[in-house]
Amino acid sequence: MRRKTWLRFIYLSLIVLVSAVTLPGLLFGGNAGGHSPSIAEASSPAPIIGEKGTIVMGTSPDYPPYENVDAKNNGEIIGMDIDIAKFIAAQLGYTLEIEAMDFNGLIAALQTKRVDFVMSAMSVTEERKQNVDFSSTYYVARNTIVSRASEPVETAEELAGKIVGTQLGSTQDLFAETLEGVELKKLNRIPDLIQELKAGRVNAVIVEDAVAVEMAAANPDLTVSYLPAGSAEDGYAIAFPKGSELVASFNEVLEEMKADGQIETITDKWFQESEAGSDSTINFGVLKGYVPYMLKGVYVTLLFTLVSALFGFVWGTILSLFKISGIKPLEWFATAYTSVFRGTPLLLQLFLIYFATPQLTGYNISPLLAAGLAFGLNSAAYLSETIRGGIMAVDKGQREAAMALGVPYWTMMFRIILPQAVKTILPALVNECVALLKESSLVSVIGVMDIMRRANVVQATEFRALEALLFAGLIYYVLVLILTSFARLLERRLRRSD
Amino acid sequence: MINVTELTKTYGKNQVLKGITTHVRQGEVVALIGPSGSGKSTFLRCLNLLEKPTSGIITIDDIELTSKHTDIGAVRQRIGMVFQHFHLFPHMTVMDNITFAPRKVKGLSAEAAKERALALLERVGLSDKADSYPSRLSGGQKQRVAIARSLAMEPDIMLFDEPTSALDPEMVKEVLAVIQGLASSGMTMLIVTHEMKFAREAADTIYFMDDGKLVEQTPPEQFFANPQSERARRFLEQVL
Repeated sequence: MRRKTWLRFIYLSLIVLVSAVTLPGLLFGGNAGGHSPSIAEASSPAPIIGEKGTIVMGTSPDYPPYENVDAKNNGEIIGMDIDIAKFIAAQLGYTLEIEAMDFNGLIAALQTKRVDFVMSAMSVTEERKQNVDFSSTYYVARNTIVSRASEPVETAEELAGKIVGTQLGSTQDLFAETLEGVELKKLNRIPDLIQELKAGRVNAVIVEDAVAVEMAAANPDLTVSYLPAGSAEDGYAIAFPKGSELVASFNEVLEEMKADGQIETITDKWFQESEAGSDSTINFGVLKGYVPYMLKGVYVTLLFTLVSALFGFVWGTILSLFKISGIKPLEWFATAYTSVFRGTPLLLQLFLIYFATPQLTGYNISPLLAAGLAFGLNSAAYLSETIRGGIMAVDKGQREAAMALGVPYWTMMFRIILPQAVKTILPALVNECVALLKESSLVSVIGVMDIMRRANVVQATEFRALEALLFAGLIYYVLVLILTSFARLLERRLRRSD
Repeated sequence: MINVTELTKTYGKNQVLKGITTHVRQGEVVALIGPSGSGKSTFLRCLNLLEKPTSGIITIDDIELTSKHTDIGAVRQRIGMVFQHFHLFPHMTVMDNITFAPRKVKGLSAEAAKERALALLERVGLSDKADSYPSRLSGGQKQRVAIARSLAMEPDIMLFDEPTSALDPEMVKEVLAVIQGLASSGMTMLIVTHEMKFAREAADTIYFMDDGKLVEQTPPEQFFANPQSERARRFLEQVL
């Protein structure tokens, strides 16, 4: 009979696992099959929009004025690249669909044909050419030095002996590598560069002209010095999968746009100087208009926390039952599982699940699902120990009393033992939820639009580093306060039997 | 009703029961007495397989408990057990404590289980405590609820494992009264107890155990007036 209950139990836990994996997928709308396969093989030009179906563009919307999220309005992706892409798509008779992703994932998206082309202020390099095809360049950016107005750095020669910040992997980064006697500090994001410059940790940063102008406009204590223009080879171009038939037709439209001044019209529109920013270190005025956008992240963060906490709790409970089952293989499995998930960094697990799942299974896991899974799996490892401790702490007599009444094992576990265990470990469970809520900010690295990611977007759009971070911190703090007061209510309810 | 043949129980190298053979009739009330460590509780706990016998055979009516094929859950439903430390479910009200097993195990409807529970609470004199949590009850009240909880499964046999040992002296009486009432209703019962007066009044048979063996089984009048074994005589000298 024991054997039968165990089989039933394993079967049950499988169901729970499977639904835990698929349910968030439904909730989060994991885009399982990639985009619709409607990209027609273009042959003759026909200027009716959408006539040839949809064409998908990949971009990394964190690089204004080329592409960024219009956080003040409806969160649409806007920018110079977008306008050019829309124009070309319309000329060729496609409807344009934009897919946002991290810059580092763009080439991979082309190779796996998740997108038809990429426009993301991407410069042409030899390395990239080996993996993708490029159109002709549509814009050439100038390398520009930004420094503090109080200690200006104006020429490439003056950079010698100084510490210079660049954005890792950017064209300017490659350029700075060729400078003699310069100590480079490479950072991931433009707002980080601004902050390092203002904090005096670097003497100057090298960025492209459009970015430099915006940086200086938003931060009047910074000054801009243009470097001599490079060759057209370094310009930005549209990237396509190797052998794409779209290259020729895109080039045709680009040439027309260059000839009739359309490109210039668009660039002028986007490269106007924006209004002068504030001089002070912190000016919450820059958040004006972004508050609703950032608050939308609360929903994502809470949903994510809820799903990973629930999944972690259910799976953690199952693991803890494995550990006390007395069945050796189950005990070994649960122990090894806990050991691995506690013994490796959460961020690494997150990356592995997000990037390895599509490669190993072909299932294109959505960032939110990958994050929920990674956090749930990780949290379960910790919780399984907590819950096991809670179960052990329940008086042995409870089990005997239930057995003497003829109560079956699992009814006893779930109705008699676990409720008492949970009551004991409630403070630890609340801790875990708070930790999950805050650690959820890690998911912004894979592009989930949570509070942290939205703060980053605002940083990038406004070229101001601190304000959005402080506001995000405040939101997290308030959320934790609310969560803990809910927990206190729950605890009081559970204690009514004392 | 209960037949026990050559029952032994060993923990590691320590043999706690050294071959017990006996028969309990339907409606018989047995009081198990003897020095501590003599195996009384272990013997009792073997009867509903809370302890797994090392060897020997236990049958209840015609069902062999010690057989591998027996559905032990079903047998346990027929055997109620009351513990020294009550073991009420602390997260449930008195009512839920009593109705839990009838509903979850026997599939009784909530109404039927509640009705039965109210009748039992009246029988143990705790009608007003239905909605209390165990933490609000005195020891004697807890034990009476525990008895009601066992009775709610309508068992044929009741086992009591030192039901009054954890109680303050003034509460012993109220619990013994309930057990005595149960005894006179014809329930088959085995009671491990140190209450000699109670054993003498309530039991049909005294089992005297010593060192894992069932040394005597005699009617109480005879046992207390004229114990047969030297060991029982010495025990009675100590406790009376």
